[in-house]
Amino acid sequence: MKKLLVLCLLLLGAAPALALTLSRDTTWQGERKIGEEVRVESGATLTIRPGSRITFHGGHLEVAGRLVAEDVDFSGSGWGGILLKGCDSTTIIRNCRITGAKTGLFIGGGAPRIEGTTLENNEVGIELKQQSSAAISLCRISGNRKVGLFIKDESSPHVSGCTISKNGKYGVYIYRAQPAAFTGNTLSENDTALMISNAGSDPRIQGNIFSQNKIAILVDRAARPLLTGNLLRDNQTGVRLYRRADAAIDGNRFEKNNEALSIAYSSYPRIHYNDFVANRRAITLEFQSSRWEKSNGSTVRESEAESRGAFGQGSGHAADAEARRRPDAELDGTIDARHNWWGEQESRELNRIGTSGNPTFIDDGRDAPTFVDGGKEWPLDRVNFTPWQSAPNRRARESL
Amino acid sequence: MKRRALRRLSLLLLALTLLAGVSACKKGEESGLAGTVLFQDQPLSGAQIEIYLKEEQDRATLPFATTSSDAAGRYRIALPTGRYYLIAKKKVEGSGGPTRMLMAAAPLNPLDLPGGSKEVAPFNLREMGRDGALVAEAGTGVKGRIVHDNQPVGNAFVYVYSEKSAGLIGPSYGEAVRSAADGTFAIPLPAGNFYLAARKRADGARSGDVAVGDLNGRWHGNPVTLQHGETIDLGDFKVSIVEAESRKERWQQGKFAPTDTTLRGRMVDQDGKAVRGVYAFAYLDSRMVGKPVYISAATGDDGRFELRLSDGGTYYIGARSTFGGPLEPGEWVGTYDARPNHMVAVKKGEVLDLDKIVVREVW
Repeated sequence: MKKLLVLCLLLLGAAPALALTLSRDTTWQGERKIGEEVRVESGATLTIRPGSRITFHGGHLEVAGRLVAEDVDFSGSGWGGILLKGCDSTTIIRNCRITGAKTGLFIGGGAPRIEGTTLENNEVGIELKQQSSAAISLCRISGNRKVGLFIKDESSPHVSGCTISKNGKYGVYIYRAQPAAFTGNTLSENDTALMISNAGSDPRIQGNIFSQNKIAILVDRAARPLLTGNLLRDNQTGVRLYRRADAAIDGNRFEKNNEALSIAYSSYPRIHYNDFVANRRAITLEFQSSRWEKSNGSTVRESEAESRGAFGQGSGHAADAEARRRPDAELDGTIDARHNWWGEQESRELNRIGTSGNPTFIDDGRDAPTFVDGGKEWPLDRVNFTPWQSAPNRRARESL
Repeated sequence: MKRRALRRLSLLLLALTLLAGVSACKKGEESGLAGTVLFQDQPLSGAQIEIYLKEEQDRATLPFATTSSDAAGRYRIALPTGRYYLIAKKKVEGSGGPTRMLMAAAPLNPLDLPGGSKEVAPFNLREMGRDGALVAEAGTGVKGRIVHDNQPVGNAFVYVYSEKSAGLIGPSYGEAVRSAADGTFAIPLPAGNFYLAARKRADGARSGDVAVGDLNGRWHGNPVTLQHGETIDLGDFKVSIVEAESRKERWQQGKFAPTDTTLRGRMVDQDGKAVRGVYAFAYLDSRMVGKPVYISAATGDDGRFELRLSDGGTYYIGARSTFGGPLEPGEWVGTYDARPNHMVAVKKGEVLDLDKIVVREVW
């Protein structure tokens, strides 16, 4: 009889669990196999003891109450991940590992704390929505197929001290959201390390290291971040500004990038007090013309907006971008890049050619005066690099 | 006061319905639509009734037929057998004040007219703002707090419907506001009767199907009757978790009910791999904008979908992984491309295999 009971318990332990609702405080320890949805009801706490291994064969873990997991391995193949729905800061995922999920960690609202956790080999590592103000610190977000950290829907998380590398499309994607802090992170070997997109995405990106990415920071569609005190080194492109991306780029260090700054399609940044060191090219302008913007900008965007549909013709946010147009008076055919230090060799070149010269490290309207659009030639803008700094900027050094 | 107003409205509607029945009988064999339009529950005379063959976004085209409502708010319009979209509108010139536009689509659009005379349920027109939202009056509205298990629910959406005939689901709401972190909400509104529903989806979306585990609820005191200058505090507005069983029941109703006319196929990516979590949408309008007439359930692991139609006809087919709103990065999207205009013609009672719809991720 006793043997039979033991056998039954063993069988129960080995069999995948079915749908499970936890409506009271529960503690898990050891190994557990999950085959369906596990839901932690509001008011209940699921505590998972250190050293536990939770393996999912489909299903997901949804928490409307509270989750406390430390040193836990969550794994599976194509499982639904952990969904934190409105969890407050008493929900803590610390030093855990989440792998093989569609979305490793979905955070809908609330302010849970994710600390020292590895999110690896998921489709998406972490996705934040519903104005979440989660705190994500010291995490390793790596090798996720699409996006490492997806910040959407007016979320305002604190993201600090994370290592974000080798993610498929984007290391971090900020879409219509504004992280309260994005600092002290290292982003490397991503296709695009940090994407900041669409009006409403105006975060302060401060004190991060971007290295060996194809594009370190891509700013698109009327987003206006402040990029300050970052080190961008050994990337193919340091910062790419695209489609009315009027970023403020202040006190960063661009070092050994193939192209430090690329500016295209009616983007008018402010580039001050940065250090440019040993980049193949400091600034490149493409399809960038104040005159084109004044003549065609509004019309083209309106026409794009009208032709957009619900099934892939575009994002439909042109109106937002339009509302954020700079006054025409600022569109004077120049890009404001004053007070930068352009490097030792470059500084010598500037001293030689003077303020009216054509620096070899800047590719602008001095090199290709016009470009063709709609069968018409438009003047390419020029970079205003005067005055320049004669020594590295303290601001760029100190903020790192 | 509220009960008396409701009773008056019920009597009025009953009388109008009886009158309509008599009227329909007298007309005998003539085919057409008849009904009553209201504004703030009172019959509205001089409203323009427009009949379209396509979805509401095609209003730029000329209507198929028009008439106007009489002194009792009644209208009748002769039409051949078919399917129609009925819209009522009236421009009210202000005496010294601003011109107001009253407007509404029949809540049960599209209206199938198999022949004979069909009575359309009475519906209220509402004042339109520039963006089609309800135009609030000073000091008029509702407020309250969304709660679940006595806990406040932040980031839930509270929807205001002018009609209940669509079941308080779908995008026909006149207003939607998000509750604050402490669950509270306040919605400025004009005077009138309103039906409130509240939902909180796991993905934070404003629209789309509710999933198991989402929060959903209707205000128990629907309709809320607002007088001019009155703000009603509803107190706690309870929502509850959507259970698998209740969701299953809902999927057996309305647009998801099994029918004998079906379009089916598979959603695949550009490599031909099945894509999970994508809905198929059927439109009557080739531009495929606005509200679709039919929506499938989301695809499963095999990528298969079924669009269950109540009638044969010509449809334009699109596919997305979310309901409505601007496309977001990471979303799957595509169209049925066997024909360049995404069109498919299906006969009533026919089950048509569309083979595959290729969807792509938007970034």
